[in-house]
Parts: sequence; C-alpha cells; structure tokens
Amino acid sequence: MNALDAIGNPIRRKILVELRRTPLPVGVFAKKFSVSRPSISRHLRVLQDAGLVVPSKRGTENVYAIRIQGFRDVQEFIDSFWDLALSQLEELAKR
Amino acid sequence: MINKTVMLACQPERAFILFTEQAGLWWPADRRHTKDPSSEIRIEAAGRFFERSSAGVEVELGVVLIFEPTRRLLLNWYPGTGPANPTQVEITFEAVGTGTRVTVRHNAGVAGQEVFERNAPAYARSWESVLDSLSLQG
Repeated sequence: MNALDAIGNPIRRKILVELRRTPLPVGVFAKKFSVSRPSISRHLRVLQDAGLVVPSKRGTENVYAIRIQGFRDVQEFIDSFWDLALSQLEELAKR
Repeated sequence: MINKTVMLACQPERAFILFTEQAGLWWPADRRHTKDPSSEIRIEAAGRFFERSSAGVEVELGVVLIFEPTRRLLLNWYPGTGPANPTQVEITFEAVGTGTRVTVRHNAGVAGQEVFERNAPAYARSWESVLDSLSLQG
C-alpha cells in the first residue's frame, strides 16, 4: 500500500497524530483507541510498509516512531502530480 | 500546502475550459483511478468532479465546492485519501497580458499550521504541507 492510501484510514491517521508527539509502543494505542492489539499491530504494519513509521525494540516490545522521509515522499508524490499536470496544461494552452 | 503557478498562453476563458472540461487532456496518465490513460475527467458547474473510462465506468474524484468561470475553482479532492477524508484544492485564474496565470493550492485548510507546530516543533518543517494538507486533524 502506498503512503497516501495508508493515510486514508482514520485509525492510522490517529496513530500518526499520536506519534508525531513522541514514539510509542503498540499497547498504548490499543488502550487509547479501544481497538484490539492485533488490529493496531496490523495498522502499524501498513504504516511501516508504506514507509511512514519505523519500529525499534525497547525491552520486549516494539516502539514505533515517525519516519520523516516517508512524509517527504508523500509530499513529492503530490508535488510531482501537479508539476506534470500543469506542464501538460501549459502545452495544451499553446495549441 | 502545495503551491504551484503556471503561465498559460491563452485567455482565462479558455484556460478555465481547458482545466474543467478537458481535464482528461492534462491529468497525468499514470495517476488515473480507472487505469485508462484516455479516460475523460470533468469538473462540472453542477458540482460533479469525476473520471469516466472509455468503457463507461465512472468514478467520483471529488466535489466542486466553488465554480466561478474564468476566475476560481474550489474542489474537495478524493485521490489519495478517499471521500471520507478529502483534501482541498483551490485553483485561481488571472489574466496577465495576453495569457493567464493559473495558481494551484493543494491544502486541507482544516488543521491549522499552529496546531501542528505546537505539537511537534521538531517535525514542523518536514511535515509542513503533508500532514496538514491531508486533513490529519479531520
């Protein structure tokens, strides 16, 4: 799943909102959002695959943090859409 | 916030028609929902913003909130984030000499930048346009 699709889910956006304050373990989200731990783990996995979060081991649990580069990639994706779209519009106007 | 400007070699009347009625001609071929590179994309005064494939399959791409011919468009934009969490795109058309300056601002307009900076000053620069423009608070 690409980063934009990953962000399209409301639970995943809530997770990102929390993570932008500080890195957190899975259990915190499960409690906070009243969603099962396996479900949170799945959402975190999607975010990780999309390059938006990165896990690290703290003792026995995984702690997740924001991966800034992933967000730059999203911005570049939107950015490149408009660069291409507007250059095509520019050519169209010349005809 | 993504902010882009382009100068078109035509009057605002034509620029507006190209943008709205012939969006299928400028929309990047590899970014189409229907995967049909020759699909038709239309932004209509009545409020519809959609894609129609050659086979006739229609997909809503957003909603037209403001349709001011030759001047301004405001769209709820679904590509990427889906109908439940649209981003917002404003397009303005200004006559400059014999041409038209088109400005695109792609933004949520929901989450204020100040909320973002208060919560995560260290991340503020990198997240600047992205999180807020994707309606993270919404």
